[in-house]
Amino acid sequence: MKILDRLEEWLITVLMAVATLIIFVAVVHRYAAGVAIPGVQDALLKIDLSWAQELCIYLFVWMAKFGAAYGVRTGIHVGVDVLVNRLRPSDRRFYVLFGLLAGAVFTGIVGTLGATFTWDVAHTSSVSPDLEIPKWIVYLCIPLGSYLMCFRFLQVAWAFVRTGDLPHHDVGHVEGIDDVDAADAASPALHPAAVPGTRA
Amino acid sequence: MSAAAVGSPDAPRWPALVPALLVVAPFALRLAGVTVPNTAIIFTLLIGLMLTGMPVSISLGLTVLTYLFTMTTVPIESVALKLFTGIEKFEIMAIPFFILAGNFLTHGGVARRMIRFASSMVGHWYGGLGLSGVLACALFAAVSGSSPATVVAIGSIILPAMVKQGFPARFGAGVITTSGALGILIPPSIVMVMYAVATNTSVGQLFIAGIVPGIALATMLGLTTWWLARKHGYPRQPRATGAQRLRAFRESAWGLLLIVVVIGGIYTGIFTPTEAAAMSAVYAFLVAVFVYRDMPLSRVPKILLDSAAMSAMLLYIITNAVMFSYLMTSENIPQSMAAWMLDQGLGVIAFLLVVNVLLLLAGNVMEASSIVLIFAPILFPVAVKLGIDPVHFGIMMVVNMEVGMCHPPVGLNLYVASGVTKMGITELTIAVWPWLLTMLVFLVIVTYWPPLTLWLPRILGMTS
Repeated sequence: MKILDRLEEWLITVLMAVATLIIFVAVVHRYAAGVAIPGVQDALLKIDLSWAQELCIYLFVWMAKFGAAYGVRTGIHVGVDVLVNRLRPSDRRFYVLFGLLAGAVFTGIVGTLGATFTWDVAHTSSVSPDLEIPKWIVYLCIPLGSYLMCFRFLQVAWAFVRTGDLPHHDVGHVEGIDDVDAADAASPALHPAAVPGTRA
Repeated sequence: MSAAAVGSPDAPRWPALVPALLVVAPFALRLAGVTVPNTAIIFTLLIGLMLTGMPVSISLGLTVLTYLFTMTTVPIESVALKLFTGIEKFEIMAIPFFILAGNFLTHGGVARRMIRFASSMVGHWYGGLGLSGVLACALFAAVSGSSPATVVAIGSIILPAMVKQGFPARFGAGVITTSGALGILIPPSIVMVMYAVATNTSVGQLFIAGIVPGIALATMLGLTTWWLARKHGYPRQPRATGAQRLRAFRESAWGLLLIVVVIGGIYTGIFTPTEAAAMSAVYAFLVAVFVYRDMPLSRVPKILLDSAAMSAMLLYIITNAVMFSYLMTSENIPQSMAAWMLDQGLGVIAFLLVVNVLLLLAGNVMEASSIVLIFAPILFPVAVKLGIDPVHFGIMMVVNMEVGMCHPPVGLNLYVASGVTKMGITELTIAVWPWLLTMLVFLVIVTYWPPLTLWLPRILGMTS
């Protein structure tokens, strides 16, 4: 389980970094190739980076699917909790569970749809326009990501049944601000309390 | 969710039935043989699911799936395809990049230097640090695309300092909560990218159009701060000398340069908005790690992970919202709503009033991105039919979202500010009202005076 968690975090971190670097390099390359430095310019012109945009999109689509699953585990997905938070604990418990299971059902259905779709695409010779990689590899993130998300919803629901706790994302907290400020304006008010308003 | 947010054990039980009823009602009525219009089914289902507190993205997706499985002939494959292709647009990818850039800036001490620069410029006027806070928020907004990020970046540094100088905590919290909202009006702006995606408007045009209203709102918030501070005699800073100002400017220059890179780059066409976002992410990384050296390299993976999680959440809402709006379009809902509204003889003035009230109400239960993604595709066709400029309509929606971020129950800025200041939401709500009122006045101006938004893009030749 721990390995899956780490793998998930590691994957989306790397995808984010790689996508950023690729676009950065592509833009720098586009302008650097326009500068007339003998030798260098020819070498740069030979490199074709027209696929950068497409690759960036695919990387981010992958990141989005797995990041959404990670988000379930960390409680980053926002919902309308105005009403539920005013209910009796027993009623609230019902809706929280309902929401989590609905999430599992939805992602499960999407995952299955995605799997069939990917299976169909895999039997065609469809390739992406610039990179020319088979489309089914690109679409593979949908079944994988959705099933993982489904699993995370069930995991969170199970934890909620057992302990009554939900993961929750703290919007007010920014890593690293604390110690920067401690030097700047020694203040006790820098460790934001739990913020209601976000939930799994 | 904290325990304090849970209702008491003897809270009335009937509200618990509301979501359940809304979800079940359309189907029950249909089974009973009553014809319910499709529009009504979709919306009761959506509202019912959302009220259960499940993630907005899931309620959107489930609404679509339920509808598809039970009552339509639209082939499920064509809709499912949207689930895969919904976010395959390069413009959308500006969102993760801007979030990443914003996180590097928040962590990297750019905010602190901007505050120092702002306070050296305006700190000696009435309002002192408060006024500096407004200016610092405006400057930070010009490099960051999100409001809560702006509140955190500026607020966590300036609020403790203000309290130490003798400002009431309420005053500081009010200033920063509302000024932080500038984050989505002054370009770059994540909400504007959302609007552009939902309506096929140009991101570049929206960004340029946001500049003048952004400066205008900053000025109005500044004036409110100035006036309140003068009335109550709050402390002022000593006037900074020319040399001090120059030094503060030089120190913050790396951050300020980013404004030029993003806006200048997009306007001159050197970058597309997405490329500008990627460039600013790399730039912000370099500044934070190598120039200011406020951030050790070891913290970079964590920032990447946090940014990725936040982006994935937004992209997931977008995916489902795209699917939802595809369902709406294939059921001809926006078109028939447009026709209905025009039949009612609704003029531009009345329509904009209705839209604003609707969005303000929605702002009570949903956060900005979801509102824009759900409402923009519905309202946009009507606006276009009435001859309202798409860019003007977009900026109006963004200003409206800003108001929603600053009042309870779901004002994100409020929660962030409450985290930073340790003040309760109720107290903060009282604290923000002078500025909130200012924002509402500004909303009316933006709504009914299009030249404010359209003047700059027009003289730059970006729109007709």
